[in-house]
Amino acid sequence: MIDPAFIQDVIRVLFAVVIVTAAYIISTRNMISLVSVYALQSLTLVFMALALYSLEGTTVLLAIACITFASKVLVIPYFIATIQERIRIKRDIEFHFLSPTTSLLLSMALMLFIYIALAHIMEGTPGRESLFFFGAVIGISLMLMGMMVTFSRKRAITKVLGYLTMENGVLLFGMFVTELPFIIEFLIIIDLIILVMLTTILTVGLDSTLEDYHNRLHRFHLVEDTEEGP
Amino acid sequence: MIVELFILSILVFFLGILVPLVTAARDQRVFRTAALGCTIIGSVVLGVLSLVILLTGQVFSWTIFQPFAAFSLGFSVDRLAAFFLLLIAAVSGCVALYATEYIEHLDGGSRRNLLCGCTNLFILSMLLVVVSANTVSFLFFWELMAGSSFLLVMYEYTGPDTKKAGIFYFVMTQFSTLFVMLGIVLLYGQTGSFSLAPAGISFLSTAAFLALLIGFSIKAGIIPFHKWLPYAHPASPSPISALMSAVMLKIAVYGLVRFLLDVFSPELWWGIVILFLGTASAVLGIIYALKEYDIKAMLAYSSIENVGIIFTGIGLYVIFTSYHMPGLASISLLGALFHSLNHAMFKSLLFLTAGSVVHATHTRDIEQMGGLVHRMPYTSALFFTGALAIAALPPLNGFASEILIFISFFSSVAVADPLLKVLLFICLALFALTSALSAACFVKAFGSVFLALPRSKESGEAREVPLRMLLGPAILAAACIILGVFAAQIFVLVGLSVPMPDLFLVGLLLLAMAVLTYAFLFFTASRDVRIAGTWGCGTPSQQPAMEYSGHGFSEPIDIIFSTVYRTKMKNERKFFDRKNCIFAEGTADISLMKIFEEYVYLPVARASYHAAKVVSRFQSGCLDTYLLYVFCTVIAIIIYLGWLA
Repeated sequence: MIDPAFIQDVIRVLFAVVIVTAAYIISTRNMISLVSVYALQSLTLVFMALALYSLEGTTVLLAIACITFASKVLVIPYFIATIQERIRIKRDIEFHFLSPTTSLLLSMALMLFIYIALAHIMEGTPGRESLFFFGAVIGISLMLMGMMVTFSRKRAITKVLGYLTMENGVLLFGMFVTELPFIIEFLIIIDLIILVMLTTILTVGLDSTLEDYHNRLHRFHLVEDTEEGP
Repeated sequence: MIVELFILSILVFFLGILVPLVTAARDQRVFRTAALGCTIIGSVVLGVLSLVILLTGQVFSWTIFQPFAAFSLGFSVDRLAAFFLLLIAAVSGCVALYATEYIEHLDGGSRRNLLCGCTNLFILSMLLVVVSANTVSFLFFWELMAGSSFLLVMYEYTGPDTKKAGIFYFVMTQFSTLFVMLGIVLLYGQTGSFSLAPAGISFLSTAAFLALLIGFSIKAGIIPFHKWLPYAHPASPSPISALMSAVMLKIAVYGLVRFLLDVFSPELWWGIVILFLGTASAVLGIIYALKEYDIKAMLAYSSIENVGIIFTGIGLYVIFTSYHMPGLASISLLGALFHSLNHAMFKSLLFLTAGSVVHATHTRDIEQMGGLVHRMPYTSALFFTGALAIAALPPLNGFASEILIFISFFSSVAVADPLLKVLLFICLALFALTSALSAACFVKAFGSVFLALPRSKESGEAREVPLRMLLGPAILAAACIILGVFAAQIFVLVGLSVPMPDLFLVGLLLLAMAVLTYAFLFFTASRDVRIAGTWGCGTPSQQPAMEYSGHGFSEPIDIIFSTVYRTKMKNERKFFDRKNCIFAEGTADISLMKIFEEYVYLPVARASYHAAKVVSRFQSGCLDTYLLYVFCTVIAIIIYLGWLA
């Protein structure tokens, strides 16, 4: 039997790993490493689920660990990495609203803000100092950091990774606070896989930006030009 | 029997909608006549049903189905609803009879079939508003009424005036629905039910009253929400104008009365607000009517005046109720309701005869008419009857209902509050002024349209309209006389005791005086024949342009109310030299300022436009912008939950 205090320490370390990976996803311009870091973040969640399983013994956590490993550590990163290799884009240097440095600073402030807000909400409740409280803080912060990636990057592939990070935040929050039914977790995974596939098809190559998408459709004669020339 | 009659009338009106819609592509008179025949039959059945309920006092309720506890789709007819059903039936039947001939002279080919179908839908929706047993079905049929009437207004959809009128009407009618819906939602918040049940006194019920009052006032054309009327009525075909003015405005009156009687516990200030709105509408409505030279726009403004009179009666009812004076409250409410019926009769008569005149002369400008009494004698007699009734001359029905409101005003000396007494007497003075101006307005209208010489070629060539275009108005004219002369007897017949003079005796006295005067003049006047030409400023023959015009007739009144009319003068001059001494050319224009349009509607429209421009920035962003909005919203929710909740 493993000592629960040790497992809790492990989970705290894993929290730190999650935060570091999220910070990397927000700030990096290197797109090849982006997918790897996402896979690492997902693997961290798998370990977290296993650690929680050893604490609580709920089999759903085991199932979540398995399915997360299969989909988010193996299938989705492999799928994106393969296409990335084909289209040969290595760097994402186009940003909206926020530069990587500003995003990083903002995400730090965001985490502090979420911590204070949740502390206010949970004031006087017994779980205020527990691991679950930190799980909730990190989960919500990860979700919002993923959202920041979705609106601050122009490349479609980075947006998809931002969305995937958001989902990791939801999963983390679910594991520590709400205990989402397993079927919901499973459906979310299916959604993610379909999202990645659809995005690949719809953007006519993952190297495009969404603004460029319409122009590409015209270039490839996929839609008729409705505007008449002079 | 009542249920059967009700179902029969609904089915007949429904058939009247289906027949022209099914045959929409075939431009044949028979289908239109069949649809309008359905309207007549449906109206007769509805009239019988409402008379039975009015005379017997039975209450008819019918629940069709109840999908959940708080709501059921059902109908209910009590005496109040039956009274308004009678009003709908009487006007609809006569208008349909008139339209069987009128519609054949309209342009539009097979589109006229759709006009007949929409007319039946419009009548059916008004009927169903009145019989609605709860607020949800009331709102549903209210919106159906708004939609169908919009389609009718847009019949001549290619004309620029019609387009403007249609947009104006659509916007206003949707505002009306919006406020009615808001009122109903607030009532639901108060009572937790959609039924027309007492709501008690609270902030929510007061807010609901105000929302409903605005909603009903927009539909009834109460100033300052009136502006759609002078646009929509001239743009619509005359039978539609008659239906809208005579019936649809009264549906709004019905709504207000129904909610005041069954749902609210009115407070004194509610009555003062309604009285103020009513008096202002009555006075300003008739003042604007005096200045109008488009015959249908003039009748539209006159409708505003009459609805103002009705609101005055309702306001008095609320005031007297809050002072625990039930006798006076009843007289005021009866006056308001009776004036609703009477206005429906004479206004539809006037709109239909005005439609005949416009059909014969091809113009709505009364300054281009004249001399029609010789060319259209029956139409002129019918219009004259309507003019006498609307001018509230005894013994016709306009007088009968206005006298009830006058009696209420005179009896208000019993009110204890001196301030309120002063207010009521000011309103009484304005009310009396309204009656006088109304008489002046219709003297001008009848004189300009029917008397003297024709002032245009078309007017000179006008011919009397066919029989069916006379028959409908003739029935309405007869109703105007009967409802006036036998008003006291009618009240006794339905079991109401009203302290009003017996107008039958008054009528007999007036008739005897007229006969005696004529006999006196006939026997005492000189038999010598004198032939002399009217002085014509030295010209050899009399010209139509030398006649006393409508402008000339109303000029003294225009001067008195010049501060209300507010003319706008535009003077543009060009000069040859730099110091503006030698005049080259120039234009000058004096026009009537559209005060409500320029100071109320346009500023509101501009503010909405600017707000829409600001909001449209949110609409036309890129995906990243929307994601940023979501992000900010999440942060805002966290702040709310963390610190404010």
